[in-house]
Amino acid sequence: MDTLLAQYTQSPYASEGLTSEEQNDYTETLPPLSLKFALPPVSRPSAFLRAATDDYSNPNCPIKIAHGTTTLAFRFKGGIIVATDSRATAGNWIASQTVKKVIEINPMLLGTMAGGAADCQYWLAYLGIQCRLHELRHKRRISVAAASKILANLVYSYKGMGLSMGTMITGVTPEEGPALYYIDSDGTRLSGNLFCVGSGQTFAYGVLDALYKYDLEDDEALELGKRSILAATHRDAYSGGYINLYHVKEDGWVKHGFMDTNPIFWQTKLEKGEFSNVTSELI
Amino acid sequence: MASIMNAGGLPSDQPGYSFSNASAPSESSGPRQHAFNPYTDNGGSTLGVTGADFAILAGDTRSTSGYNINTRYAPKLFRIGDDGDSSSRIVLSVVGFAADGNALKERLDAIVKMYKYQHGKPMSVKACAQRLSTILYQKRFFPYYVHAILGGLDDDGKGALYSYDPVGSYEREQCRAAGAAASLIMPFLDNQVNYKNQYIPASGTGHELQPRAIESLPKEDVIGLVKDAFTSATERHIEVGDGLQMLIITKDGIEEIYTPLKRD
Amino acid sequence: MRGATILKTSDDKTRQLNKHTLLAFSGEAGDTIQFAEFIQANIALYTMRNETDLGPSAVASFIRGELARSLRSRKPYNVNLLLGGMDPITKQPSLYWLDYLASSAKLPYAAHGYAQYYCLSILDKHHHPDISFEQGMKILRMCTDELQRRLPIDFKGMTVKVIKKDGIVDMEYDTSKQVLAA
Repeated sequence: MDTLLAQYTQSPYASEGLTSEEQNDYTETLPPLSLKFALPPVSRPSAFLRAATDDYSNPNCPIKIAHGTTTLAFRFKGGIIVATDSRATAGNWIASQTVKKVIEINPMLLGTMAGGAADCQYWLAYLGIQCRLHELRHKRRISVAAASKILANLVYSYKGMGLSMGTMITGVTPEEGPALYYIDSDGTRLSGNLFCVGSGQTFAYGVLDALYKYDLEDDEALELGKRSILAATHRDAYSGGYINLYHVKEDGWVKHGFMDTNPIFWQTKLEKGEFSNVTSELI
Repeated sequence: MASIMNAGGLPSDQPGYSFSNASAPSESSGPRQHAFNPYTDNGGSTLGVTGADFAILAGDTRSTSGYNINTRYAPKLFRIGDDGDSSSRIVLSVVGFAADGNALKERLDAIVKMYKYQHGKPMSVKACAQRLSTILYQKRFFPYYVHAILGGLDDDGKGALYSYDPVGSYEREQCRAAGAAASLIMPFLDNQVNYKNQYIPASGTGHELQPRAIESLPKEDVIGLVKDAFTSATERHIEVGDGLQMLIITKDGIEEIYTPLKRD
Repeated sequence: MRGATILKTSDDKTRQLNKHTLLAFSGEAGDTIQFAEFIQANIALYTMRNETDLGPSAVASFIRGELARSLRSRKPYNVNLLLGGMDPITKQPSLYWLDYLASSAKLPYAAHGYAQYYCLSILDKHHHPDISFEQGMKILRMCTDELQRRLPIDFKGMTVKVIKKDGIVDMEYDTSKQVLAA
């Protein structure tokens, strides 16, 4: 009888609180960037994730992830210009007008954010760690080519899982000079002189391509980067907010402001006579 | 324009999802699985505002599922790392799926406590904010269905507020509304806290107009704004109401204020 | 175009409506020319009956009316249009942007389709209300260069026509030079 009783009774608080497994989870904390991701208990995790988060294939998805962007970067004789807008949208809702889409990986390297904000933030922080580890292990700075390849290989290993990012990695090193790489979640990795990424990319390309040359002066290049983002914020509803402008040089990057687009637009229109389609005329 | 945009899409229009386009396996090719839907939306709204030496987080206490009201008192605000010695200065607010919110709170709370026991000092809000981001991202492929806001005081004693998306992208801000009535409350905050689109009269013409300077509001004023935000949201959103819980973080501790909201 | 085959390399996608209005069109094959020539015939009829040309704004209103009527019919035309003209009385040039949904807008510069995405930002920057003809051609070159550079389509030349005070002139326009991205 006692054995039978013991089988069906448990101490009154046994089921409360954390199980020993959960306690382990908390105490033996994994390093924050352990690359061990929780997966839904289904046979095809990516299909589940798509149903839950991809508002392109499922407009009623419960979890809206912020999207929509214009980012650009181009190489020129004085280094690299990196410029972005600052708007984050979830459907028609403007989730934020103050997003920092230029990610400071370390004092020498910059990354840009397009696509999933969290994906870019997390993986570029991860890249920052890997770059620092490279410095400690090899007693020298990592090349931009190597840094960009770490990221490209990483996102490629998650291909098909639903990551969404389009990023540019920039830096200036003595051996490479100004270097610019484009990496996206498909696994594409390209080096080049000039890239624009995001929903407003075509508008930025329009202005940038027409006036781009490698021999730009620093102030001309900064102005061109700024004007290209302004063009995109004007024509692309998913871009806007502030213009975030950086100049990357051999001794690190320099920030050139986080500027409100609205006064810049009116200044450009009224002082330079551009945007002549904007009128107060009634027809 | 819209019709053209939807027509085909540019060659590489924007960074696309890397979902493979292979269609789901047909019924005969494997065991059929019931649609896995572990989420529900429990409604409600949260809001955070910072000042020079304080941060206020607020949330209504209604919990809904569909058109049903589950309870009129389900707090969305949690003290993080509070083990009874009143040294905690961090508050987490979560809105969305309450079960995920609770799980997230438990996770963060345990980690912040463990940090304190292992290092002999409380975790800074800045560190806690970064840690919360990685916790959310650990579930990138099975997300917590929550919009989190973390509040506290930074190393200089200034109010600090961090807002998150469900998978952990975060940003420090002056104020943020989240949840069902975010689209009602956020514009109100833009107007009353950040003075968006307000200019000093006769300070110039056209783009030379000087914007009205943002000042850090006194605590009493912010409490007033928060109450106004929630009474208004209650008036126009079905998922908001019943009660308003406010946690006010100052150097002296965390003060809790509860005010009733309309219960219809 | 028929599937992936080019049928003709020098297809003129414009119709002259009267002495100084020109209509450019794009859209579904068949619809475009049928509609443009229907408009052309009606404007010609008006000119003959009244011995006077309609101004661009009147032509635009007429086209918009026809598009709106078509849109509500059993089989609407799928045509997007640009209408350029010189007003015979005021001697002012004007441009109208019309789409198959019968939207009409008077604009200083306009484009349809993918060209919008690449060219409007260029025009936003470089267009000014008082530019000369040569400056205008320079801006047009910037636009076509950008399309050649960025569109993954190898288009077979451009038709360029200029509407001047004393009529419409065909322009030589060479797009044979390859334009590569930086």
